Amino acid sequence: MTVRNSLLAILSGQSAHGYALKSTFEDSTAGTWTLNIGQVYTTLDRLERDGLVEGVSSDDPKRRTWQITEAGRKELSGWYEAPVLDDPPARDELAIKVLLAVAADGVDLTDLIQRQREATMEKLQGYTRHKRRADPDEQLPWLLMLDALVLKAEAQLKWLDLCEERLRDRRAR
Amino acid sequence: MGPVTMTLRRGELAAVMGPSGSGKSTLLSLAGALDQPTEGQVLVGGIDLASLRPAVLADLRRRTVGSVFQDFNLLPGLNARENVSLPLELDRVPLHEARAAAEAALGRVGLGDLAHRFPDDLSGGERQRIAIARAFVGTKSLLLADEPTGALDSVTGERIMRLLRELCDAGLSAIVATHNASHAAWCDRVLYLKDGQLAGSPDSVSAAGGA
Repeated sequence: MTVRNSLLAILSGQSAHGYALKSTFEDSTAGTWTLNIGQVYTTLDRLERDGLVEGVSSDDPKRRTWQITEAGRKELSGWYEAPVLDDPPARDELAIKVLLAVAADGVDLTDLIQRQREATMEKLQGYTRHKRRADPDEQLPWLLMLDALVLKAEAQLKWLDLCEERLRDRRAR
Repeated sequence: MGPVTMTLRRGELAAVMGPSGSGKSTLLSLAGALDQPTEGQVLVGGIDLASLRPAVLADLRRRTVGSVFQDFNLLPGLNARENVSLPLELDRVPLHEARAAAEAALGRVGLGDLAHRFPDDLSGGERQRIAIARAFVGTKSLLLADEPTGALDSVTGERIMRLLRELCDAGLSAIVATHNASHAAWCDRVLYLKDGQLAGSPDSVSAAGGA
């Protein structure tokens, strides 16, 4: 669904051929989401089938250029208006691992949490190095994507702190 | 506080994280010779601080260590330049030298144009920049910051960490105690304190090199 609507969003700005759509999508997601060109063409075929995009004549007959239709603009507008709900929540491997470790015998939860904390902090330091180099005027989408990654990592670290506190409370009772 | 071994290199920015009461502020006080350990040593440039006479220690502390706090601790009746030059004036540095050093320090934190403004006329981020300038003005080489971004919003807090990063890249050394992981991530190293002891793998908490 995201790829479909993202292609519509890009085409709402200007007509483009498949490869340009792939590049623009990857640029706007700050390189965090790589698209297979085959996936782009499959999605465009479906969008055309649903009347949301159409092919237009192009200087290069080998490359088909696509433009958004009125129905496509309406669909896109609906996407922008609808809040994104993580429902059901995406599977969280770390949460599942910790929950299983709580119930298991012989797993040192303190070690598990500390190892994860250090690994997540290392990732956070990596994102921060990128933030340092990002130009807030020229690279705003990239900076916003980094902010999102930083806050997700920070949330994970806070959750690990909370796990540790709850385990300490339980041991103290 | 339990046994803790750490080395801070010149130009290094280190963060100390851990729950309230884990010993973060105590570690800063020990590192800055504001407090003395009951056991163990604090070495600065290879010199054991316990071997120094109190007057020499006080002198070293005054000339080497600067502190930054969550609530800035600026004197409201002094303007930015006077706040920054005050520690030098108290150290009997001639007034014109102290003021020139204060202006240079304010320039380094990006507040050269606000030297004559009073703390109440400045934003939280600007006040913290003044506090940082005051902490490194003169000959100081070690900056200890206890929750320096605690009273600031996220973007302003990030600017403060960016500033500390730049200062350390230019040769200052700093230890920052913080609860904020995003801000700790601006540091070269992150140490985790738990119940007065360092948690984690030795590689994550120690580093080679002199102080």
